[in-house]
Parts: sequence; structure tokens; C-alpha cells
Amino acid sequence: MSQVSLSREEAIIGQLKARFPEAIEETKIDRARRVTIHFEKDHVQEIAMFMRDELGFDHVKGVAGVDLPTQKKIEVLYFAGSYSNAEVQDFIVILKAKLPRDNPIIASVVSVWESAHFHERETFEMFGVKFEGHPDLRKLLTLDNWEGPPPMLKDIKFPEMGQR
Amino acid sequence: MTTEPPSPGISISKTAEPSTLDVSVGPQHPGSGHCRILIRVDGDYIVSADPDIGYVHRGCEKIAEYRNYVSNIPHLERPNIADAIHLNWGYVLPIEELQGVVVPPRGKYISTIAAEMNRIMSHLYGLAIMQGVFSGHTTIFMWAFGDRDLFIELAEMLTGARLTYSFLVPGGPRRDLPFGFEDRLSRLLDYFEKRLVEYDRIFFSNPSVIARAKGIGVLKREDAKKLGVVGPVLRASGVKYDVRKVEPYGAYADLEFDIPTFEEGDSYSRYLIRFEEMKQSVRIIRQALEKIPKGPIARKAPLVAPEGEATGRVESSRGEITYLVMGDNSDKPSRVKIMNGSFRNLIALPFLVRNVHVADMPIIYGSLDYWPVEADR
Amino acid sequence: MSQDTLQDFAGVWIGKMSELVQTIIGSGPIKYIVNWSRMYALWPVHITTACCSAEFGAMMGPRLDPERFGMQAVAGGLRQCDLLIVEGTVTKKMAKRLKIVYEQMPKPRYVIAMGDCACSGGLFHDSYSIVNDVHKLFPIDVYVPGCPPRPEALLSAIVKLREKIRRQEVFA
Repeated sequence: MSQVSLSREEAIIGQLKARFPEAIEETKIDRARRVTIHFEKDHVQEIAMFMRDELGFDHVKGVAGVDLPTQKKIEVLYFAGSYSNAEVQDFIVILKAKLPRDNPIIASVVSVWESAHFHERETFEMFGVKFEGHPDLRKLLTLDNWEGPPPMLKDIKFPEMGQR
Repeated sequence: MTTEPPSPGISISKTAEPSTLDVSVGPQHPGSGHCRILIRVDGDYIVSADPDIGYVHRGCEKIAEYRNYVSNIPHLERPNIADAIHLNWGYVLPIEELQGVVVPPRGKYISTIAAEMNRIMSHLYGLAIMQGVFSGHTTIFMWAFGDRDLFIELAEMLTGARLTYSFLVPGGPRRDLPFGFEDRLSRLLDYFEKRLVEYDRIFFSNPSVIARAKGIGVLKREDAKKLGVVGPVLRASGVKYDVRKVEPYGAYADLEFDIPTFEEGDSYSRYLIRFEEMKQSVRIIRQALEKIPKGPIARKAPLVAPEGEATGRVESSRGEITYLVMGDNSDKPSRVKIMNGSFRNLIALPFLVRNVHVADMPIIYGSLDYWPVEADR
Repeated sequence: MSQDTLQDFAGVWIGKMSELVQTIIGSGPIKYIVNWSRMYALWPVHITTACCSAEFGAMMGPRLDPERFGMQAVAGGLRQCDLLIVEGTVTKKMAKRLKIVYEQMPKPRYVIAMGDCACSGGLFHDSYSIVNDVHKLFPIDVYVPGCPPRPEALLSAIVKLREKIRRQEVFA
């Protein structure tokens, strides 16, 4: 792995850092073609806009939530990918923002990446993350069979679990 | 009858015109299967559609958090049993990355052969039901299902199961190629290539199919990029994107194949793209059978994954599947996230069925090859 | 003709003698004719609850050809159907709809539970969103275990169901 040049990954991080010096908290190159960027949650739309218009990341592959009960945080992950820009077509840039666990609110990126529509709805349903500005934030998968807290939170246990 | 009040969807306008009517399509109707689409019609035209999915939501991601890595494999491949190898492989790749296990070359080739056989089976299933039956063509249903069973027989010979293989575990495939498998597979491919010509004659060149599918549900290239659709749907709109080329996994880096694309982006080109992909799969399997090296098939992988996260992706029959696996030094993953082709292609459905005839909706739905169980997980 | 309508028919037209007529129909060769015709007219509802539908499709395909047992291609209209095949996992969201579908079917109606999930929860038994006890929604005639069951197993379940129909009483 050490022979692989990581200059393209570093270039993306460099551009993002130069543009948002205070919003980018931490960056990491997981391996070739995988970049993880931790950012401050208020800048999500600006960063998404920059990623789309300047770097060519024109869609998200998914929006995921991760519950971190020990840190009292919920992390929201955006998996950005590119179809238009041939240079970074093979990349997955993972944008991460930490939200407080008791009141997870973040601005929606649907106005920037339309592909995030259903993914944000799913994350809202599974983790209770409210995406402000989402055109239609409803439950998606468990529309009428789940009353109660979002099921994917770590401290939600079900009587069915470990039955047999 | 709808059981919920009509819901404002991705494109449903909040105020209904008096001339429109809300119709609930599914979950019981001859087509959609386990998915409900709430459509608003004005006469014979669909004004807007709101997919209501989740009828097969079984909480795979939650279950994955309290089972260990290996016992997660069977239930994580159930979401798409027509395409089980790819769901399995996409989950195994990030675990191998976390554990630092490298699959030996022979294991990679066996996985590639199994995956391409699975792609043919899945496309035949799509051709038979999603495209054949939905456009009222029962002959292709019989033909494609009959030929699919031949591939299933060989898959059973290789893995021991008809559809749900659980064939790949961290470290490599479970079994080597059985005795006589190569010979039978290459003879089947000879037969299948002849059949492909006949498929073309009876289905793809059939004037009634062309009349129903051509020019229906056009997804332009810019829209496809914007909506983030994947797989055959994306490539039918002229974007050349395939994980097998973009980020080669398995043995794909050594093999020669093309990525077919079409410029039109209509339902007919989405039909054709799967037909072309089957031809490429035949080509890949032939090369893999020729080039397959000798040696061990798998390495021993630990049951525990270290702390960290990894993202792996494969090109399944319905498009790119991305798995995020987070490990925490235990034998259970702390988070598994599945981003699959059906869920990502779902956004194209309300986009495409606007301002089309009600009768064209099954054609568009079938051309997306949407697998509801995969989308719901 | 369903049991209810047959009973009404006898009641309206024959009045007090309906019991006698029922005994004649229920015991004599007419019973076998009725059951024989029901055996050869099993029409399944097309409601796919989960992934076992892939094997259901394989069963309807050219290899096994269930049409020789009178199973027509799946019909869209519920009123034409008398066989409900629960194809796999029933989620809580689907259970409501499945119950509605079952209630809309004309009598006599038969249910086959296909797959481990429909029998007892199966692989997903500990999930938060599925129903483990499908048999509490409606009575089930034949259980087919397997994940998914082979098409042959499903066909054998249909043969078993036909045996059951052959021996059943007309006025249960």
C-alpha cells in the first residue's frame, strides 16, 4: 500500500482546507480513493456546494447515521461520489458531522444534492436526525408499524432481540 | 383504498386539483410486488407519484449489530436473493480490509466466476418478470426462466444452494470449483450464447416490445447524474460508470470487458443494456475459466475485526452497492450501512412517471429493475 | 361456487329440505365432483410479501409447470383467487394488508406459508419490524419450511393441499 501515491487524495483535502479553514476539523486518508473529512455541522451546505461545483462530486451514494452513545453524539455521514469529473470518479469522500444526541438537527443538502432525498428521510426515521429544509421529511420505511423512538439508536432494545 | 391519508410526496403537489384522483398501486397487484406507489392521475395521465416503500423492511442494519461477522452473511444477502453473491461480496470486502486479509488469486477468480453467473441469473430474472411479464410478453418469461434454471443448477453445484449461497466469507470463497464444473459451465455458455440471439429475435426486436418501451420514461444524462442513479439505469443514460472498471475488485483488473452504454436513456435502452451486459458476463466467465490460476482458494481470517471503519463496494446487477462496516475490536460490527442500487434508483421512479400514461408505468417500473426487498433491507 | 353461496342457494330454493339436500350433496358422489373441481382450480393471489417470491416464480416457470395441477397463472383480482401463498417474511406493515387481502378472498380459501419466515420468523426472528406468528392472522393449511424452499418443495405443498381438498367436507 505504501507505494501508492496519495497525491489526488491530498489535493482534495488541500482544496477543502484552503476554502474552509475553520469548518474542517479533521481529515484522514483511509486508503487510496477513500477520504474522510470531519466538519463543523453549520457549514454542511457550503461544503456540499463547494464539493459539487468546484470538485465535481455531483451525487451522494448515501447518507448514514452512526450513534455514539458514549460521546453523546450522533454522527451523520455523507458518501459523496462523482460521475462528471473523470479524475475523481473512483473516489468516495465521506463527510462527517457530529450532532448532539438529544437534539440532532442539521441543514438538509437536498437543495445541493437531489440524490440525498430518500437517504435523508431514512436517516431521519432511523436516527431521529432532523434535516432542516428538506422538502418532505416523513418516515419512509416504517411508516405505520413503528411508534416510538428511532429504532437504530444503540440504547433501543426490543423484546424480540436474543429470543432464541 | 388507501389506508393512510394521501401523503405529499417527492412531487405530489399539496393541493389536489378537483379533476385529479389519488390511486394506490400495490402492495397487492400484478406487478409491483411488495411496494406501494401512490399515484395522482388526471384522466389517463399520472400527475405525480409517491413511492411508499418499507413493506419488506426487516431491520437488517439493526440485526447486524447484534450478530457476529460471519452469522451476518446469511441475512445480509437475503435482501436480494436474485443477486446474493454481490450483496455477500460487498459486505465481505470491507471486513477483509479491516482485518488486512488478502484473498489468494484463485479465490478471487472463483468469486468472479460466481458473481458473473449471478449477474446473468439476475438479468434473466429481470428480463423474465420485470420486463417480460410487465409488458405482457409471457414467452420471454418461460424462456428466460428456463435458461435461468440451468445457471442455478451450476450455482448449486458450486455453492450448495440454489439462490442463497453465503459463498464468500472473509478470507475467500468456501469451496473450490467442483470436478467437471468448468466443462459444464463452458458448454452452458455455448448454449446460452445461441439463446441470446433468439432472445433478440423474440423480444428485443419484437415490434410490440419496441412500440411499448421505446421513448418511454426518458432519463437524460444530466438528470441521471443529478439524481445519483446507478448501474444499468445510469449506463443507459450515457454515463460510463462501472465499479468493476472504476475500482476493480476480485479478478476484474486482469480481465477484458466493455462497459456498454446507450445515449437514449429510455425504457428500451434500459432493457437492452442488461442484454448487452449478459454478453459481457459470458465473455468475462470465459476468460476467467481460461486464466484461473492454481493454488489455495482462501486464507484464514480472524473472527474479530479491529477498531476502525472501511467502505467497500461492488457492482451488483442493480448497480453499485456500498457497504460501510465499523468494527470495535469485538466479533460484532458496531455499524453496518448498506447503500444499494435499488434504493438509489428509487428516486428515478417518481421523476420518470410524471406526465405518462398509467399503462406506461409498469414499463418504466420494470425497466428500472427495482427490487423492493433490497431497497427496504 | 363457495360454501356460503351454496348454502344460501339450498336454503332459498329448497326451504325446509335444505338440510336433506346438504346431506345428499355432502355425502354422495356430488361431494367428490365438487372437491375434484376445486382441486383443479387453485388460483394463487399475487401478493409477494418478501424474497421467497423468486422461488415462487421458479415454480410457476417452465420446469415444474404447475398448470398441470390446475394452477393458473397468477391473477390480479382477489375475487378470482382461492389460494394465498405467504411468500416469506411478513412485516408488521405488510401484515395489515395481508389480512385485508385474505378477508377479501371468497370461500373456500387456502393458505400456504412458504419459507421459514412465514412459518416461524426464521432468520429474521429477532427483528423489530416483522411478525413471527403468521398463523395468528389466519389459519394456515400447509407449511413449507426452507430459506427459501426449493420450487419442488412448494409444488409438493400444493400436491398436499390438493389431497386435503379432495378429502374435505363440502359443508364444513
